[in-house]
Amino acid sequence: MIRVELAKQLTRPRTYLTFLALTAFALALTVALSATGPGRVERVGDIPLLLVPRTSMFTLPLVALSSTMKFFLPLAVSVFAGEALAGEAAWGSLRYALARGASRSRFLGSKAAVAALFSIAAVVLVPVTAAAAGLVAYGWHPLPVADGSASTPLRLALVTFDQGQALGRLGLATAYVAAGMSSIFAFALFLSAVSSRPLVAVAGGVGLTILSRVLNVDYLPGVAVLNGYMPNNDVDLWQHLFQQPVQSAGMLHFLVLQAVYSAAFLALAWWWFLRKDVLE
Amino acid sequence: MISVELLKQISRRSVWATLAVMALVPALLTAVIGITRPALAERVGNWGSVVTDSSGFTMPLIALNAMLLFLLPLAVAIFAAQAVADEAAWGSLRYLLIRPISRSRLLAVKAAVAAALSVGAVATASLSALAAGLLAFGWRPLTVLDLRHTTAFHLAVVTFPPGAAAGRLGLALVYVMALVASTFAFALLLSTLTARPFSAVAGAMGLGLVSRALDNVPGLHALGPWLPVTDAGTALWTSAFFQPVDLSGLPHAALLQALYTAVFLCAAWLRFARMDVLD
Repeated sequence: MIRVELAKQLTRPRTYLTFLALTAFALALTVALSATGPGRVERVGDIPLLLVPRTSMFTLPLVALSSTMKFFLPLAVSVFAGEALAGEAAWGSLRYALARGASRSRFLGSKAAVAALFSIAAVVLVPVTAAAAGLVAYGWHPLPVADGSASTPLRLALVTFDQGQALGRLGLATAYVAAGMSSIFAFALFLSAVSSRPLVAVAGGVGLTILSRVLNVDYLPGVAVLNGYMPNNDVDLWQHLFQQPVQSAGMLHFLVLQAVYSAAFLALAWWWFLRKDVLE
Repeated sequence: MISVELLKQISRRSVWATLAVMALVPALLTAVIGITRPALAERVGNWGSVVTDSSGFTMPLIALNAMLLFLLPLAVAIFAAQAVADEAAWGSLRYLLIRPISRSRLLAVKAAVAAALSVGAVATASLSALAAGLLAFGWRPLTVLDLRHTTAFHLAVVTFPPGAAAGRLGLALVYVMALVASTFAFALLLSTLTARPFSAVAGAMGLGLVSRALDNVPGLHALGPWLPVTDAGTALWTSAFFQPVDLSGLPHAALLQALYTAVFLCAAWLRFARMDVLD
C-alpha cells in the first residue's frame, strides 16, 4: 500500500516542483555568493558563525541550511504533509480511496509515511545540492569556522574542521533540522485530516512556524516563559555543532519537545481521521 | 457609493473582530509588562531602547514593534483580501456588477474603503497602546536610548517632552502605514484572482514571508534594499525617535513601497476589469 501511494505521489508535478525549487535555491545561493564576493566573511545564525565561502565546499551547506530552515523547508514539509489527505478530499477521491478494503489507520499510516519520506528527502536535498555545488566551486578543503561570540577584536576564535569531521557534523546538523521539522509535519497532517482544502493545511503548517517566531521574546515582551516550549524556535541550535567545544545544551531538550509535539498532533490526526465523516 | 460600501463593511462582524484584536493586544501587552517587568528596558527596532514605566509614550513604541512583524500586516491583508473575494465567496459579486457603474469605480470604492479600514487598524492599535500606556505609566516625557550611538564612554539618550513625543508618534505612524502598503496592494490583487478570501490573506502574508526569507539569505545582500518587506524596512519607523532625526532611509522606502503598490494595484485593476465573474 505504501508502494501504491509512493508511485502516486511520485508522478505528481507538485512533488517535482517542490524538489526542483529547493535544488534551484541551493544552486542560486552558490551563484550569488560567487558573484558577490566569495572572499567576504558571511555571518551565519545568531551566534554568529563567521565563514568565508571560498575556503571550503562545506561553507555552502551551512549557509543553505540556515537560510532555508526558517521558511522554505517548513513550507516544503507543510506542502507534503498538508496535501496528504486534504489533497484527496479536494479531488473528491478520498471516499473512493477509503472504499478499498484497508483500514483507515493503515491508509493514514501509509499516507503519513510517504509524506514523511518526501519531507526528509526535501531537508536532505538542500545541503546535498549545496555541497555538490560547493565541491565544484570551491573544492574539497578543510572547513575553517570562526566563532563570532567568542571572538574579540584582538583574538579570532578560529576552528578548522578536516573534511571527515566537517562531513560528520554536517550530517548531524541535517538530521537535527529534519527532526526539527517533525512538529510542523505532524501539525500540517492533522490539519490535512480536518480540512478538505490543502491550502488551509499548508498555510496552517507555515503558520505554526510564524506563531513560534512571533511569540518570541525579541518581539513580544512577557512571553519569555514560553520560549523553551515553542515548536520551531530552537531549530537553529545545530549551529552550535560547529563551535569548539560543542555546546549541545538545549539540543536534546528541543528533540524531546519535537517528539512530544509530533506525538500529540499525530495522535490527534489519527483520532480525527478515524471518526471523520468523509463526504468528499 | 463609498458610504454604501463603508456601511456594509462596518456592519460586518469580521471587521469588528479584527479591530477588536488590534485594540486588545496592546492593552494586554501593557497589562503583562506592567505586572511583570515595568522597570526593565525594552528593545524597540534595531537600535532603540526604552524603559517601560518611565512614560506612557513607551507603550505605543513597544506595541508597534511587536505587532508590525505579524499582526498589523495580517489585519491589513484581511481587509484588502475581503474586498472582492468575499463578494465572490458569497456569490453576490455578479449582482453587485449589475448596478450601472463601471467596474473600475467599484474596485476603486472597494479599495478605498479597505484602505480606510487598514488605516483604522493601525490607528486603533497605536491609540489603544497610547491610552493603556498613559493610564498605566502617566503623561511624562519620553526617553529613548539610541544604541547605535551609545559607547562605553557616551550614552546617547534623547528625551522628548510629551507634546513632541506625540508628534514623533504621528510621524512613526505615517512610516508604518507606508510600510504595509505593498502587502495591502498584493492582497487586493489576490482578492481579484481568487474567490476565497482565505487564499488571498494567506498569499499576502506569504509575500512578506518570502521577502523576509530572501532578505536573510547570505549572498543575496544586494537584493535587500529592493524587497517589499524586510527586517531593516520593518524597523525603519524607529528612526523618528532618534536625535537628530534620521530621515535618510525614508525616500527610498517610500518610493519602493509606492512602486510595488502601483504595480500590484494596476495588475488588480487590469484583472478585475477583464475577469469573467461567475460567482
